[in-house]
Order: sequence, then C-alpha cells, then structure tokens
Amino acid sequence: MNPIAPTSSLESSSDGALLRHVVDRRPEALGILYNRYASTLLALGKRILGSVSDAEEILQEVFLHVWNHAERYDPARSSVSTWLVLIARSRAIDRLRTRKVVERTHESSAQADPAGHASPEGMETVFLHERRERVQQELGKLPPEQRQVLEMAFYQGLSQSEIAAKADLPLGTVKTRTLLAMKKLRNALRDEIRQLL
Amino acid sequence: MNGETSSEDLTILATLEALETGAGGPGGGARPSETSEASEASEASEMMARLYREVLGLVAYELEPAVPSPEVKTLLMANIVSGADAAEEADGDGDDTQPAPVAAPEPAPSQPTPVTPILPIPPPTPPIPLRQSQEMRPVRPPMAGAAVARRSPRRWPLALAASLALLLLGLSGYLYSRSLEDRATIARLDRDLARERSQAAQASAQASRLESYSLNLREKMALVTSPTVAVSALRPMGRPPLQPAARGLLFVAADHQHWYLSLQGLQPVEGGRLYKLWFMADQGPVDAGSFTVLPGAPIEMSSKEMPAGTRTAVITLETDPGSRTPSGPEVLRAGAIAPIS
Repeated sequence: MNPIAPTSSLESSSDGALLRHVVDRRPEALGILYNRYASTLLALGKRILGSVSDAEEILQEVFLHVWNHAERYDPARSSVSTWLVLIARSRAIDRLRTRKVVERTHESSAQADPAGHASPEGMETVFLHERRERVQQELGKLPPEQRQVLEMAFYQGLSQSEIAAKADLPLGTVKTRTLLAMKKLRNALRDEIRQLL
Repeated sequence: MNGETSSEDLTILATLEALETGAGGPGGGARPSETSEASEASEASEMMARLYREVLGLVAYELEPAVPSPEVKTLLMANIVSGADAAEEADGDGDDTQPAPVAAPEPAPSQPTPVTPILPIPPPTPPIPLRQSQEMRPVRPPMAGAAVARRSPRRWPLALAASLALLLLGLSGYLYSRSLEDRATIARLDRDLARERSQAAQASAQASRLESYSLNLREKMALVTSPTVAVSALRPMGRPPLQPAARGLLFVAADHQHWYLSLQGLQPVEGGRLYKLWFMADQGPVDAGSFTVLPGAPIEMSSKEMPAGTRTAVITLETDPGSRTPSGPEVLRAGAIAPIS
C-alpha cells in the first residue's frame, strides 16, 4: 500500500507512481494521468477514427480500462506513456474494424478539425510540445515511402501483408521499408526513449 | 527482403505483429520469456522489443494534441466514483439482508407507588375573640397628652434620615457598581480597539504583500505569455538521472535580462546540502542563487538580470553554499538558450 499523498504532491509524481496510486483506488491520480495524456490520446483516436465523438468514447474507455486494470501494467514492458498510447491505438483500431469506416476516415482526416486545437496549460504542455516537435522532425526526415508503410501499420492497423496488398508492393519491400523506418526512429529518438525508460 | 533477417529485424516485425494480435497492447500479454524457452537471447530480444514499443508509442506524439470536451473527464470521474459507491452499497446491502434482531423494549417493572399516609386534618384553631386579645395585651398606664405630643416629632425625622441614608447608601452602591462596569467596558473596548488596530495593520501589510505578489504575478504573466519569450525545459541529468521526477521551465524575455524559472519534483535534501542555479555564460558559470525545497513544493525564481552570453542554465546539488563554480552533481540542465541576436 502506498502512503496517501496529497493531491498537490501527486501533481509532480511520475507516471508510474500515479499508476500505483490508481491501483490503490485514488481517482485523483487517474485525473492527473488524464490531464497529462488525454490530449495526445484524443488526437490519436481522431487520427485513427476520424471522428471526435468516437475518439472521446475511446478516450473514456482507455481511462476506465486503466482504472479497472492498472495492476496489469508492467513497467518492464513499456513506459506508462507507451502503454496508454498502445491501449488507445488498439481500441481505436478495433472500433475502426468493427464499424468498417476506413474510407470515411480517410475523407474526414483531411477535413478541418471541428474542435480546434488547443493544449492543456502548464509544464506538461511544454514537454509534450518538445516531444511532438522532435517526433515530427524525425518522422519528417523519413523518406515518404517509409513513412507511408509505418503510418499504415500504426494508424490503420494493417499487417505487413495487408500493406503490401493495399500499396501494391512486394511483401519484402514493405518489410524492408518498415524495418528501416523503425531503426531510424529508434536511433533518432534515443533521448526521448531514454526519458521514457 | 532477403533471407538474412537479423534478430533485430525479427524483433521489430514481431513487435509490430504483436500490436495487431493484441499481445503488445493493453494488458501486455505473455512475454517471450514466458512462452518460449527462457534464455539470455530472449531477454535481449525483449529489451529490443521494449525499445521498439517505445518507438511506436512515440509515433502518436507527432499529432497535434486535441483537447477533449470537459464532459468527457466529468463523465469518466463520475463513472469511477459511482463504481466505487456501488461497491460500498453492495457491502451495505449485505448488512441489510440480515438485520440484527432488535429487542423490543421491555416494559419497565411496575414500581409500587408509595402511598402517602393521610394525615388527619387538624381542627381549625378557633379565632381568638377580640375582646380576649385585647385583654391579653399589657395595659399601659395612660400618659399625659403633652408627653405624647413631644414623642411624635422626634420619631419621624429619625425614620426619614434612616430612609435617606439607606437610599444614599443604595444609590452610591449602585453608582459604584455602574462605575466598575463602565471601567470594565472601557478596558474591554480599549482591548478591542487595540486588537482592531492590530488587525487593520496586519490587513494593510497583507494587502501590501498581495499587491506586491500580484505585481510579481503580472510581471511573470507578461513574461511567460510574451510572444518573444524563449522557453527552455530543464531535464534530469545523469545516467541514471539523479532525480528522474524533477523538471523545470526557464522563461527568458526577449531582452535576455528578465527570466523566470519554475521547478517541480525536486527532492528535499539534508546534511547541509542545497540546490544552486548556475547560468552558464561566456565568462563561465555564474551563481544565480541557491535554495532548498520542501516536499512536494514547487520552486519559483525570477530576476531581471541575466549574465551576458548566457547559453544554458544548470541546477546542481552543492555541499558548499559559497562555492563559486559548480562542484556537485548536476540535477537539471536546460536546453540551449538562443544568444542575443
């Protein structure tokens, strides 16, 4: 059992510590995790599903899942940030497949964002902004064909074979491009990964 | 894809595949070491897989963050709280199913009412006949009329004087009592007045402090919201980081003079050690102040002076408060601050 910490000190707690407080059934710890990651996870849901309302439902599902199954988080497998991103991605892809709205997604993802863009206030914003800039910068350096296969795998949930079929490419080419993209990102984002470990 | 697929390539492909099968998603799924034969190779493979999972986790950060509507969080927290309440209610219901038998109040045993014995009413005393009472009074001898006339004027002034004396005595007592009460009231009012004056002075001082604080806040707000402000994040240093939860932001105005530093997550230190802020300038490190922290308390520092040619800022943990150069371990380091153009 973790000692009860006041909310003010929770604010500066690490993600892992917050998750331990969630295991101890402290809703305020979940609220702080929500404040830290909701904007990123909602953006991910919107990118995958192309719908703000669907993405907000996914966001709720993710944090309810965290509330109910926080003890399943394994710090040896991933950072809290990555765990949340992969939960959100997995749920959004599942919904995408269930509703078969792939075509609608591509159309709406190009539309203007009806909710507008904004960020939460505070220190987290600056760190997220820095992280986003670094990731955007490194993804931008990838050759378009490598970025394409990576996005198809990550945002559309397509397997290598499905990407090959959809892009009309040999499977080996898809795998090569994917591997190159992943290795480049791993090297380029070394500092960001170190912060997560 | 040639046939010479490295173990790293296999790990990457397996990590991607695990995303689709759910093994790398929520809940984690089984680790390779749990499903395959345990070996050092599998541990290395798992570490490699971890790195690539983090890469995938970072991909989402390329997206512009989108703020969810406030109702999402409200609903989420309500769901959580109501879930907790339901559990508590369930516990409460269990208690209700087997209510504890409540013993009916037994009637109090009847107590024998004490019977007051009826006493015989004494017979009324027969009135004494007037004549008889007069007869029992001692009979004075008749006095002379002059003597009676002399005694009468001597008795009423005495009675009057006594009454006046009593009246004066009572009045003076009353006035003395009132005087004491008034003095007590005056003393109390004096104390109240002194207290009110003290409170007024405190309120005035507090108002001055608040005004100063407000001015300070306005200055900070003007600084941090200025479109020309340079912001640099302070990140934990050391491998592994000395204090991984520590972080901070340094705002530097366009004139590179006015700066504001906000720090969070620094741990309290003991043994006479303290934190020091250094500006790393062209002339070398410049001591910008030292501080200690309380548990969970944020730190804010601000000044309108920054050494010329400052390129970055560093927080170190020092044992010597008078050290002129950083000698202790680095806790936080800011990113590069753009030089004055």
